[in-house]
Amino acid sequence: MASSISTGRAGGPGARKRLSGPLAYVAPALVLIALFFIVPVLMLLVRSFLEPTPGLENYATLFGSTTYLNVFSNTFLVAFIVTAVSVVIGFPVAWALAILPKRWSMFLLAVIVLSMWTNLLARTYAWMVLLQRTGVINKTLMSLGLIDSPLSLVNNITGVSIGMVYIMLPFIILPLMGVIASIDASVLRAAALCGANKWQSFVRVLLPLSLPGITAGALMIFVMSLGYFVTPALLGGASSMMLAELIAQLVQSLVKWGLGGAAAFVLLAVTLGLYFLQLRYLDAYKGR
Amino acid sequence: MRIKPLFLVAALAFSANGLAADQTLVFTSWGGTTQDAQKSVWADGFSKAQQVTVLQDGPTDYGKIKAMVESGNVSWDVVDSEGDYAVRAGMDGLLEKLDFSVIDKSRLDPRFVTDYSVGSFYYSFVIGCNKDAVKACPKTWADLFDLDKFPGKRTFYKWSAPGVIEAALLADGVPADKLYPLDLDRAFKKLDTIKSSIVWWSSGAQSQQLLASAETPYGFFWNGRLTALTKTGVNVETSWEQNITAADMLIVPKGAKNKETAMKFIAYATSAASQAKFAELTGYAPINLASPALMPQDVRATLPDKQAATQVDTNLGYWAMHRDAIATRWYAWQAQ
Repeated sequence: MASSISTGRAGGPGARKRLSGPLAYVAPALVLIALFFIVPVLMLLVRSFLEPTPGLENYATLFGSTTYLNVFSNTFLVAFIVTAVSVVIGFPVAWALAILPKRWSMFLLAVIVLSMWTNLLARTYAWMVLLQRTGVINKTLMSLGLIDSPLSLVNNITGVSIGMVYIMLPFIILPLMGVIASIDASVLRAAALCGANKWQSFVRVLLPLSLPGITAGALMIFVMSLGYFVTPALLGGASSMMLAELIAQLVQSLVKWGLGGAAAFVLLAVTLGLYFLQLRYLDAYKGR
Repeated sequence: MRIKPLFLVAALAFSANGLAADQTLVFTSWGGTTQDAQKSVWADGFSKAQQVTVLQDGPTDYGKIKAMVESGNVSWDVVDSEGDYAVRAGMDGLLEKLDFSVIDKSRLDPRFVTDYSVGSFYYSFVIGCNKDAVKACPKTWADLFDLDKFPGKRTFYKWSAPGVIEAALLADGVPADKLYPLDLDRAFKKLDTIKSSIVWWSSGAQSQQLLASAETPYGFFWNGRLTALTKTGVNVETSWEQNITAADMLIVPKGAKNKETAMKFIAYATSAASQAKFAELTGYAPINLASPALMPQDVRATLPDKQAATQVDTNLGYWAMHRDAIATRWYAWQAQ
């Protein structure tokens, strides 16, 4: 197996060629992935074409019903909102981490990483309590007189987005921090010397130079959000259902494996498509 | 899927080797306080009496049962499932027939006995209300569906199962003895009138949280969860008016490795004493008709079997036949 892969890629870029030695060592892992991931996924795909009757029926159902199309649009909408908000909030944090004195940035980084290590379910339940109509946020806003009746912050797309942004933030902050830290500070000084104001140096210098980090982080968040399950299931409502919830429902409760397989395959196809986009983009960046 | 507590005790699937098979049994249920009680009353007692190691697994997952039976590698021996699923799975050939020479069904509530399943416990869907949060509590299903008299959010069971549809029809004035066959158009029309005010609960713990925090001051609950909430000091009012009963069942997936032991376990779990103790701990009703006599009077008073006069039974046979069609429509309606 190892040899067939290395010969298959022998004509590839130099970076890949160097892998052919170590490839022998990763062969066990590859076999494991093939057996326990690729084969089951293929079986699922086959089922989606065979159950309950052979044909494209499952895909027709999936794309032909407004209910399922709703689920698709919810999924993409939430993934988009979460990605956009994470980038906007994450960028200043990453910037701060990159330019703060080491002592402070290490402390901030520890806070971010610690939150990542806290149990996902516990964090999501905490949001449930914070966001509900009788929760701390609504009660505070009401006692301050800012709102008259509680805001609907949970059991809808708002709740899902808030909970997911919080979970996804580290995935943009960490790669972006590295990219910003590697930007030569003298470039910004040069911009200032040439008469650029702060806004111009941000838009025309800092932002383009951080773009690889933003793209990498944003794509990662988008892809992770598409298949996210726990947070939408707990903070979402029935009408804000996302794809992963639908798949779980079809497989576990309704036991419609053909349709569940079709939904899973659509999700996988979209994810892989985005992943290749990311690879191509990053490869192009590294090539320069 | 149902959001269940986070524990997952690894189930050891012993090979079908005679000695090991006699000594181990895997019991699967939904987790939470219910499975805790099943473990402490049924599994621990059975272990002691029969020298059998009972391993706990969970949560119950119908997709997994299908996968196990199809692949012939069945690692669950006894499973606690919803009643309508148990009846359906029996028809679909996913279950072992129960051995009634081992399980004494003469004392079991006949509503919850089929060739393939016996009741695990039964419960009622009732109206729960947080008295500290509102001036008046809804008493009937019609009240719970009345946004003028009872404004604001209310909570209902999220999953497609016997219960909510019946409640909607009762609220709309359908007589209890004319519920079946279910008029789904009428039920969904009634549900549409309050849809935007519904917060769905997907687990018992979530329903308790919603009521205790008054996020939803009233709603549609499992009676046992309200009993438990009252014990923690929440001022809960329970209305038993037209309480809707449904049951969990004990089943043995086809090809279970420890079938004989499974029958013995079910016999133990459904015995009068086991059912009585389980009911005391959980607030759910025993399915053994001899159990109530073994229970303290104050506990008995809180159980669904004392509310038989106002009780409405769900028709598990009807649900078994139509559960897929109803579920498909239910989830499509919810997601709209």
